[in-house]
Amino acid sequence: MLVLLVIHAAVALIAPALVRAIGGRGLYLVALAPAGAAVWAAAHIGRTATETVEWIPQLGLSLAFRLDTLSWLLVLLVGGVGALVLAYCAHYVGDRGEQARHAGLLVAFAGTMLGLVLADDLLLLYVFWELTSVLSYLLIASDPGRRVARRAAMQALLVTTLGGLAMLVGIVMLGAGTGTHRWSELAQSPPAGTWGTVAVVLILAGALAKSAILPFGAWLPAAMAAPTPVSAYLHAAAMVKAGVFLVALLAPAFAGVLAWQLLTVGAGLATLIFAGLAALRQHDLKLLLAYGTVSQLGLLVAVLGAGTRAAALAGLTLVLAHALFKSALFLTVGAVDHATGTRDLRKLSGLGRRLPMLAVAATLAAASMAGAPPLLGFLGKEALFAAFATGEPADTAALIAMVLGATLTVGYSLRFLWGAFGTKPGVVPVEHPHAPGPGLLAAPVLLSAAGLAGGLAARPIESALEPYPLMLDGVGVHLALWHGLSLPLGLTVLALAGGYGVFRLTRDRVKSEKISAGAWVYEQALRGVDRLAVELTGATQRGSLPGYLGVILIVLVVIAGTVLAVGAPWPTEFRVWDTPLQAVAGVAIIAAAIGAVRAQRRLAAFVLAGAAGYAVSMLFILHGAPDLALTQALVETAGIVMAVLVLRRLPAKFSERPLRASRRWRIVLGVSVGLAAAGMAFVTSGGRTATPVSERFADLSVSYGGGSNIVNVILVDIRAWDTMGEISVLVVAATGVASLIFQRTSALRRRAETPAPKRALAAWTGKEDSVIMQVVTRLIFHTIVLFSIYLLLSGHNAPGGGFAGGLVAALALTVRYLAGGRRELNRAAPVDAGVVLGTGLLIAVGTGVGAMLLGGQVLQTAIVDIHVPLLGDLHVATSTIFDVGVYLIVVGLILDILRSLGAEPQPSVTEETSETQEQDREKVTA
Amino acid sequence: MEDLKAPSIDYAAVAPILILFGAACLGVVVEAFVPRRARHAVQLTLALLATLAGLVVVITQASTRVTTAVGALAIDGPAVFLQGAILVLALVSLLLMGERKLEPGGAFVPQAAITVGSEADERQAARAPGLTEVYPISLFAIAGMLLFVAANDLLTMFIALEVFSLPLYLLCALARRRRLLSQEAALKYFLLGSYASAFFLFGVALVYGFVGAVDLASIHTAAAESDRDPLLLYAGLALLSIGLLFKTAAVPFHVWTPDVYQGAPTPVTAFMAACTKVAAFGALLRVLYVGFNGLSWDFTPILGVVAVLTMIIGAVLAVTQTDIKRLLAYSSIANAGYLLVGVLASGERGLASTMFYLVAYGFSVLAAFAVVTLVRDADGEAGHLSRWAGLGRRSPLIAGLFTFILLAFAGIPLTSGFISKFAVFAAAMEGGQTWLVIAGVISSIVLAFPYLRVVVMMWLSDPSDATPTVSVPGVLTTAALAIGVAMTLLLGVAPSLLLDLTTGAAEFVQ
Repeated sequence: MLVLLVIHAAVALIAPALVRAIGGRGLYLVALAPAGAAVWAAAHIGRTATETVEWIPQLGLSLAFRLDTLSWLLVLLVGGVGALVLAYCAHYVGDRGEQARHAGLLVAFAGTMLGLVLADDLLLLYVFWELTSVLSYLLIASDPGRRVARRAAMQALLVTTLGGLAMLVGIVMLGAGTGTHRWSELAQSPPAGTWGTVAVVLILAGALAKSAILPFGAWLPAAMAAPTPVSAYLHAAAMVKAGVFLVALLAPAFAGVLAWQLLTVGAGLATLIFAGLAALRQHDLKLLLAYGTVSQLGLLVAVLGAGTRAAALAGLTLVLAHALFKSALFLTVGAVDHATGTRDLRKLSGLGRRLPMLAVAATLAAASMAGAPPLLGFLGKEALFAAFATGEPADTAALIAMVLGATLTVGYSLRFLWGAFGTKPGVVPVEHPHAPGPGLLAAPVLLSAAGLAGGLAARPIESALEPYPLMLDGVGVHLALWHGLSLPLGLTVLALAGGYGVFRLTRDRVKSEKISAGAWVYEQALRGVDRLAVELTGATQRGSLPGYLGVILIVLVVIAGTVLAVGAPWPTEFRVWDTPLQAVAGVAIIAAAIGAVRAQRRLAAFVLAGAAGYAVSMLFILHGAPDLALTQALVETAGIVMAVLVLRRLPAKFSERPLRASRRWRIVLGVSVGLAAAGMAFVTSGGRTATPVSERFADLSVSYGGGSNIVNVILVDIRAWDTMGEISVLVVAATGVASLIFQRTSALRRRAETPAPKRALAAWTGKEDSVIMQVVTRLIFHTIVLFSIYLLLSGHNAPGGGFAGGLVAALALTVRYLAGGRRELNRAAPVDAGVVLGTGLLIAVGTGVGAMLLGGQVLQTAIVDIHVPLLGDLHVATSTIFDVGVYLIVVGLILDILRSLGAEPQPSVTEETSETQEQDREKVTA
Repeated sequence: MEDLKAPSIDYAAVAPILILFGAACLGVVVEAFVPRRARHAVQLTLALLATLAGLVVVITQASTRVTTAVGALAIDGPAVFLQGAILVLALVSLLLMGERKLEPGGAFVPQAAITVGSEADERQAARAPGLTEVYPISLFAIAGMLLFVAANDLLTMFIALEVFSLPLYLLCALARRRRLLSQEAALKYFLLGSYASAFFLFGVALVYGFVGAVDLASIHTAAAESDRDPLLLYAGLALLSIGLLFKTAAVPFHVWTPDVYQGAPTPVTAFMAACTKVAAFGALLRVLYVGFNGLSWDFTPILGVVAVLTMIIGAVLAVTQTDIKRLLAYSSIANAGYLLVGVLASGERGLASTMFYLVAYGFSVLAAFAVVTLVRDADGEAGHLSRWAGLGRRSPLIAGLFTFILLAFAGIPLTSGFISKFAVFAAAMEGGQTWLVIAGVISSIVLAFPYLRVVVMMWLSDPSDATPTVSVPGVLTTAALAIGVAMTLLLGVAPSLLLDLTTGAAEFVQ
């Protein structure tokens, strides 16, 4: 069996090239593949076979095939009809490219269908199932010019793919319930209970979707946009039969489940009647057949789903009959279309006389469809009526529906014949039809003849199909043309007579443009999802950063808030303050923060944020950490100055105020985040159980670090590696700032040479240079620098240190710059910032390396007591040298920022531009 | 004070990480000393060679199962496998980044800091060759990812997170076209990413508060044995998860994804979609499976809700997208949801199926973005979907390949998409997470719709004048596309080889 599939795959691959090379005749060669499958099936009549090849053992997927009666029948149909349709295609309209495409796809489709009906592993079945969806999509979509075709293809693909996914879940559930995906094993012990029911309902959803049963029926008529031979194959013999096949496959195991009965028999019969009624309103012959197909599929699903022995035989017979007559009729429509250029029964008249051969074939097929003796359809219908004539209420109700359906079937069969071949008064007869050649006639004639032959061969057919019904319980029936004067015969006569009446009544009706319920649901579902998506996108994906951040923050508040509220280990002891002054600082921080948020001017916001920082430094002082406080205050100052330099380029006020509504929720969110973060910090600080590592620092900093300022010793000794990392980052950042501001080094160089724009301060204050300020700053400058050096050197034991000292020196430079602009700055620090930075880093690294060279650890501190005459004893720790490096780097950083941010980059860009343009012009002229 | 001993490091085990870091540093040096003209070739060669060398070493380490560097790194089955995956996917991404034939100078801007819209900017956009720094930057990111999936304590993990995130922020800003969009993307990614990192760090602090250590083994022990109120631990895990889920683009931390995917240069988007996902999920797996596996009863419902939301919202929002990169972004979000299902399936099968999914998805998404780079007009890539109408008629080959990839995303059989989805769903079923599977299938149904819509549009619409042409790809893009498509097919038809690998690798060491 695997060989068959491989052959189909290979043929599908070479078919397009073959047809392109030798034209339509190549299709005959291509048809050999499905024909081979049919022959193979014919040779295996009454036999079973299995074949298993491992595929993905890790997932329990194997290429397991088995042949039994059911799959045998389907292989015969798929192969036989497939071969005929391919041969028909050789004569059907279409350019060579299209034929080539169809050839490949049709063979691939035939192969996939074979795989589907032969698969024993349900997962493998699913694989083929989805492949048929994709391939059918490609086949339906082969007429891309039309919007209708596009939508139809989309709809067919969506409905069947989605149904398939539901089916996959069902299959997986079956597998999880029983531990195997092999149907041959599953059928022995199908899972019972709710689990099994849910699984089988899901599988049924897939099957019903594929066979266009209500409520999924809408896609099949829409798919009629496909070329007629494709419809003949997919929508009569092959794809739609997949769902019927699955129902038949599962029926022996699940027919006893109530939900199964409701879904198959109930939905099937409803489909039978509604689609039958719809077929009576069509004027496009193909659509008429399409609705007829939907109706018949409903019947098949209902019969096979019923799961009794008699119904099973009737069902299989009908499957065979339906495939034969429906594909014959579709191919007839193709021939009619080919001959006259229309499929509209309102325009066709008198064709029967012109194309007698075709008319006879179509009549035979339609008669089989109507269930008239002595055709195969009659056999099936007789058996069907017999199977349900048990007298039980449920069966009787089903029987009534079936008779009704059969009546409608007769009605639309007659409508079809009359529409295609009848002579209608008032319609100009088709005079010169483009008569179809033998190639186009062969297939419908053969298929119709097979229907007739089947009707006459009741016994052989019954014996071939028998093993399947025997798997089911109940009384059997026999296929026969003559059962005697029985109820079924009476019902058949009733249906035929009633059908004629229906035909006469509805003959001149044409369809109203009402959309069917299924189509409505489909449209609404699509629209609903679309709408939901648009709304959700509009609500959540505005591209607004605050919005995005809000989402993340909300999650934080929810999580943290829940944890805090539900019962975080709150500290039992709660001390309000050590000194009321802390409360003052706290209030100041809050006030400054609120002010900063409310500020409309950028500068005010920055200054207020800085004020909050000063208040924090006050808290540090109150906690007894003057060193931290000093550093904090200095950083705030430097930060404000830098901010001012940047703000010069921005508008004075914040550009956009958020709307009131959004402002409110922003406030709520901000406050909540603040509370959550504070709560977490509070809880965690109270939750500490281990001894803080810093407790030993106090002793260590004196004994090893040689200093009594713990903060400083931590920075330059205990955590010297951290500091080393940080100052490296600082140097990198300084370099980055400079190079970002002056995109090119050349610009940087030029900037250093050209005189700075005067009145840097004036650029944003609008005031002229203040001479007094210049003088004052010059006066105090040296004092401040001296103070900074004092801070640096004394930092080891007293508040201060390299960082604080560096900041003080940098602020001194900043003041000079603010007072007199770049010239003053250059005069105060006639060095390149890069040199300062580099020297600082070199000193810091040198200290570490020096310690190592002298036999210590990297960055180990040595304490040296030097006696300097006159000054007295100098107590020096080598880490102070490291601190010098820090000092220089801080100074260099600020210098760098002042020089880059303080300059005006905008003119430099235009300058450069004009210059390069000139160069360009020179090049051009040269 | 006792002497500190230098930690012993299994250099062979960490060699891939070292190679990549070394090559990245070398790349910086190359930038400084190699003449501008030769730089691109040298950098690209260096990056490819380094990735390849890393891959070779990873393969030789296939059976290594150790923790090293004082337990900071665990080179075990998942780590080696995921490192290999990252390197392979990165190799393909580098091919995309190296392409210079589609656009003069490549997909990257020559000077990122030039004011957008200025004359200098327009001039450089037209002809100047792109930045070659992207290669060392990418190498840093790759190295960070390698470290991330091997990190065995939370601090190392955090450092690795930053090491690979920062280069990504940069890379996002370097698109040659649509500079403002690119810069905005980078800024958003950076700011939101910083928040996520901060949450991660906050989480580390809380976990440390409970456990008193940051290594995953201690967390595991403490979670199992401590009789203290574990709320602190839960809060810590929640915050850690925010940091990790942000990188995986799970709902509700996904908001950045579409904007960033759209704004970033397409090769970078491909790199992020493939490699970042592997890295982020690798770390998430390790945190959940090693550190917190004792709490799986507690976190599974919550993460399950996240997974369901991720799948559904990703799928639903994908429906309405009109830009191909945004569509792929939402698809990537939904796929993060499916991956989460695999993660929550727990056990060896969950782990193995998740790892398989990561690799399979990585290849497909690389191929998808490779196609996106090809479909272009005078203004660069033609992102709007309406412009793709009729592409099947213009360029059947490319449209065919893209159709195949889309079918793989939709989970159609004989593509890797089917196998990987099936594997995670089956694992989740086995792990008793039926509800996740149901949500997964429902979202797959919705998600199939936008993919199929693109397919229909490409093949069934008539090409208009606005239909862009497909540029002839250079060798590099061709190779990337071919690898992506071939692997998608191979993993769909014969996935056994990779499944064996993932199953064999599916065990963490502690």
